[in-house]
Amino acid sequence: MNAPLLDVRGIGKRFGGVHAVRDLSFRLEQGEILALLGPNGAGKTTAFNMIAGFFRPDGGEILFRGRDIARLRPWDICKAGIARTFQLSKPFADLTVVENLMVGGFARSSDTAAIRERAEEIADFLGMGRQADTEVQHLTAFDRRKLELGRALSTRPVLLLMDEVVAGATPAEGQEMVALVRRIRDRGITILIVEHVMKVVMALSERVIVMESGRLIADGAPKDVVSRPEVLKAYFGEQYAAARA
Amino acid sequence: MTAHPNRLHESAARLPAGRPRRAAAGGVSPAGLLALALIGLAALALPLVADSYLLHSCIVVLFFAYMATAWNFVCGYVGQLSIGHAMFAGVGGYATVLLFTGLGLSPWLGLPVGGLLAAALSVVVGYPTFRLRGPYFALTTIAFAEMIRIWVENTESVLGIPVNGAAGLTVPLAGESLAALQFNGKAPYYYLIVALLAGALAATWALERSKLGFYLKAIRGDRDAAESLGISPARYQLVALAISAFMTGIGGGFYAQFFRYVNAERLIGVDLSIDMALMSIIGGQGTVFGPLLGAVLLAPLAEITRGTLGGSFLGLHLVVYGIILMLAVLYLPKGLIAPLRAVLARLARRGGAR
Repeated sequence: MNAPLLDVRGIGKRFGGVHAVRDLSFRLEQGEILALLGPNGAGKTTAFNMIAGFFRPDGGEILFRGRDIARLRPWDICKAGIARTFQLSKPFADLTVVENLMVGGFARSSDTAAIRERAEEIADFLGMGRQADTEVQHLTAFDRRKLELGRALSTRPVLLLMDEVVAGATPAEGQEMVALVRRIRDRGITILIVEHVMKVVMALSERVIVMESGRLIADGAPKDVVSRPEVLKAYFGEQYAAARA
Repeated sequence: MTAHPNRLHESAARLPAGRPRRAAAGGVSPAGLLALALIGLAALALPLVADSYLLHSCIVVLFFAYMATAWNFVCGYVGQLSIGHAMFAGVGGYATVLLFTGLGLSPWLGLPVGGLLAAALSVVVGYPTFRLRGPYFALTTIAFAEMIRIWVENTESVLGIPVNGAAGLTVPLAGESLAALQFNGKAPYYYLIVALLAGALAATWALERSKLGFYLKAIRGDRDAAESLGISPARYQLVALAISAFMTGIGGGFYAQFFRYVNAERLIGVDLSIDMALMSIIGGQGTVFGPLLGAVLLAPLAEITRGTLGGSFLGLHLVVYGIILMLAVLYLPKGLIAPLRAVLARLARRGGAR
């Protein structure tokens, strides 16, 4: 068996007295869509930010294509081939859509004309070709989320980390987003998503992992995992899980 | 370009074939080039018709335009506020004079050497502060600049080099000498500052289209997002600051040669720093021509208030600046150049439709 694309080994993070993530280990295979679930405060976003380089793990290692990337800074993580989106989209408001999509291109190339052309292709891919020259501050919230995704793609990632794909989207927009994520995976990009909306998780992922209180409590196919007592307990409390069992 | 065969996705097929081409995509429109050429010709011909007083005033205005353009190179594009850029001018000015008096080095070499020293100082200021978020850069620049000004004002000589305290340094008269960068007439100085300003504007124009320019605008837009896209904010801000300080240092050297005199209060003082920042902000920071516009409007205004009213009210020009700044921030947050651009764009479109 080949080595996994991403191999998280025993990472932990403590904020003062709060142990946000403890001894978290999981693997991500090439071409997979893996969903990271868990109730609020389970440590999902902390784990996410450690992989993306925004937090330094207190211990453990994160092997990406066999190389330890734990404790690298975000810009070096990007250059290693990992892109991320943010829970609240963070567009460059006074730049146009295409300019937003050009920034990431410079991490891989210095040919401005080629970077612009690729940015226009990504705008078309997102279905935002008509808005290519619109300043981002005039876009709708959902278009900004799509742009956030496109901007991550502009760095030509091998692995894409997505924090809450459909937060605040209408059901129709959610469906569009799910389709978009699938098409990204079909282009050979491996995806790790942190997500609350079960419908999205079921539609997208082949495998889910569940965190609670900083620990991993389940790992498996979405259908199986959501009916496990420890997962139900984490989401709905002891009594609900007992009643179901 | 729109009919590219290797589209990423089928959605391209649904798009209208002719997405409007952008004027900004490649460079400047022919009309814009023509206008620039005409303005350039008029600028070059000015010394032929202007008297000495007018020429002197124009040199001062263009000097401020150059300094504001240099300030804008980093602060305007990255959205950081420096209130201490005069320290770079001070380093350039003092270095140019001292290299000439001490070592006999021609100011033609003194200017770039002064610029490099200013760039070195900027790295000392920027290296620790660009790692931090928040107002630390602004605070550090003002603290450093004032520290250097007070130190120079109270130091007669250091390591045998005469700094001459608050009295300042005079450039020894060399008569009409190209090598010593001294001229009896104003015209050579005028052409020099026009060339410097043209160079700074060209550098800014190139910046807007470069990787560095995109990175600075990204850092201004959102620092976290910029980091996730492969940008080390500290590194690229430092590069831009060093270039800006280099240009500012050369400006300080020009000031020394033109007035044949430097002192700490005028060249390192906070007044000059504020002038550079305000002209840039009011004119339109983060644009190529905004600082030039700001200087053309504000420099004469400062001169008038200082000359006619300043005798009785010290610092009145700052009050006037403050009022203009408030009005600009309230009604034209993108600077005075924003409405001007809209008018020009409308004219260009009408021209294109014909």
